[in-house]
Amino acid sequence: MSAPQPIFSDHIASANGQTPLTHVSATDVSLSFGNRILFDRISFSIDKGEFVCVLGETGCGKSTLLRLILGEEQPTTGGLVVSGKKIRGVNRNCGYVPQKYSLFPDRTVLSNLVFGPESAALSVLSRFSSKSRERRREIRQEAFSWLARIGLQAADANKYPHQLSGGMQQRVAIAQALMMKPSILLMDEAFSALDPNTRGGMQALIHNLWLQTATTIVFVTHNTHEAACLASRLFVLAKKNSEASTIVLDESVPFSRDRFADRRLRSEVLELIHRIESYSRGAFSDAE
Amino acid sequence: MMVNPFDIEAKPSKLTWAMLSWVLFALGIGLYFQESIKRHRENPEDRVVPTLAQLAQGIHNAFLNPAEEDDDTSIEQMNSWQRIRRSMIWKDTAASGQRFLISLLLLVPAVLLGLHIGLFPYVGALFTRFVLFFDKIIALSVLPILFIAFGIDELSKIMLMVIGVAPTIILDTCDLAKGVPREQIVKGFTLGAGSGAVAYRIVLKQIMPRVLNAIRLNLKPLMLFLFAGEMIASTDGLAYRIALLRRHMGMDVIIPYVLWVALLLFLIDWALRLLNQVWHPWFKET
Repeated sequence: MSAPQPIFSDHIASANGQTPLTHVSATDVSLSFGNRILFDRISFSIDKGEFVCVLGETGCGKSTLLRLILGEEQPTTGGLVVSGKKIRGVNRNCGYVPQKYSLFPDRTVLSNLVFGPESAALSVLSRFSSKSRERRREIRQEAFSWLARIGLQAADANKYPHQLSGGMQQRVAIAQALMMKPSILLMDEAFSALDPNTRGGMQALIHNLWLQTATTIVFVTHNTHEAACLASRLFVLAKKNSEASTIVLDESVPFSRDRFADRRLRSEVLELIHRIESYSRGAFSDAE
Repeated sequence: MMVNPFDIEAKPSKLTWAMLSWVLFALGIGLYFQESIKRHRENPEDRVVPTLAQLAQGIHNAFLNPAEEDDDTSIEQMNSWQRIRRSMIWKDTAASGQRFLISLLLLVPAVLLGLHIGLFPYVGALFTRFVLFFDKIIALSVLPILFIAFGIDELSKIMLMVIGVAPTIILDTCDLAKGVPREQIVKGFTLGAGSGAVAYRIVLKQIMPRVLNAIRLNLKPLMLFLFAGEMIASTDGLAYRIALLRRHMGMDVIIPYVLWVALLLFLIDWALRLLNQVWHPWFKET
């Protein structure tokens, strides 16, 4: 048996047909709220097609880092560039899947799925032209194909979010975001409210979708097992020497995708989990 | 088995619940007629607490006879439906209902203003303080100003209703719009919606059932302002009639009128609840 090969560099290169490109670049980014400094001059970059998991203890700024990339928060100082552009306001090229309120409760599953493409493609005035009707039909067909892709039945299309389980809701939310073909998908503890079985299924789903679509994904989680299972790269945030948080661990994950099924990797994965936990607890001095 | 009425964990049966819910009605009706019989025994001409027969005659007069001021002699030749259409209560209900509906329609801009105040920071900065100030003004205290400014016709009464209720609806809608989770708004933007689409296709649609509930809860204040306006300056309407009959101690008609107004409000409330359920099947709080 040969040693497991890292597949990410191949995957990224094939996704773009060329060498990896920087997708998100943060240089000396600081963020403060009043007197409270959350980030003090942090720098990082994310390449196209990477699956970055952001970990850390509660309150260390994982979700805020995501909101910075999303454009929901503006850095107090420093530069943050996404897809070559400095972001001002919500970045409309991002897909976003939050932990809660991920679907519009007043819309059916189908209506949730088609909302984005219809908003982008059809203006209010042109909505009733024959060309628009044709486009609308195409969008609906695409929505149904996404439904099948995420493992839902066509009959689920007319259900409201409250009629779906938590896992199904998050599946639809992921499909809703990916239907817009976002350049980057931001997921904020998207699976944390799910039971372990559903969570496992969702991890497999997002992994497969990542392989199929080669979308850059930034995935915030507090679950080290999940991060070690999914990520091609890990950021661990912790407070270092001050109240401000910083990225204390930035590590590429060199395992094959099947890292949990592959018994040979178990010790390496466990070692990685142990290292993540040490760093996120703030024990990075010892680890270093 | 002993029943403890102060047990939070108690589970009354449906029959018990239904019976208990009618007890106070039965008690009220019983006490009324006991008092009526007593007063009529002492004074057969008493007009303060009419008997059942007097009430029935009052209802008959209200529903089948024209108002005294109409002096419609041809009514005797009409059938029941035609008589109802020419009756005192029909005329008064139509007049009050028209004012009420116009005021309800004028609450639509109030809802839209509240939505914009809640969502658009510049609109919020312009209007919030002003609406908060306006909300504290007692609407009835501006009634003389309204009569001077708009005369004693329809406009002043409708303005009174709008001024009385609109600030509450604006502030309620504003709070509801602000209460929509930020995630939903961000999600809308990332799905290609602009500010207008986020406001109208996401936020307004989500808060609409609660806005309807807020309007539903303000039906009574709306009716209160309508009655105040009609009682002071009007020549028709339900409140005008009650005020007019008060001078003649016409309790045999006033009591049916009061119950009729309560029934109308109950029906409007029920219709709005029903509409809310039909229009917003996803909404569970109605």
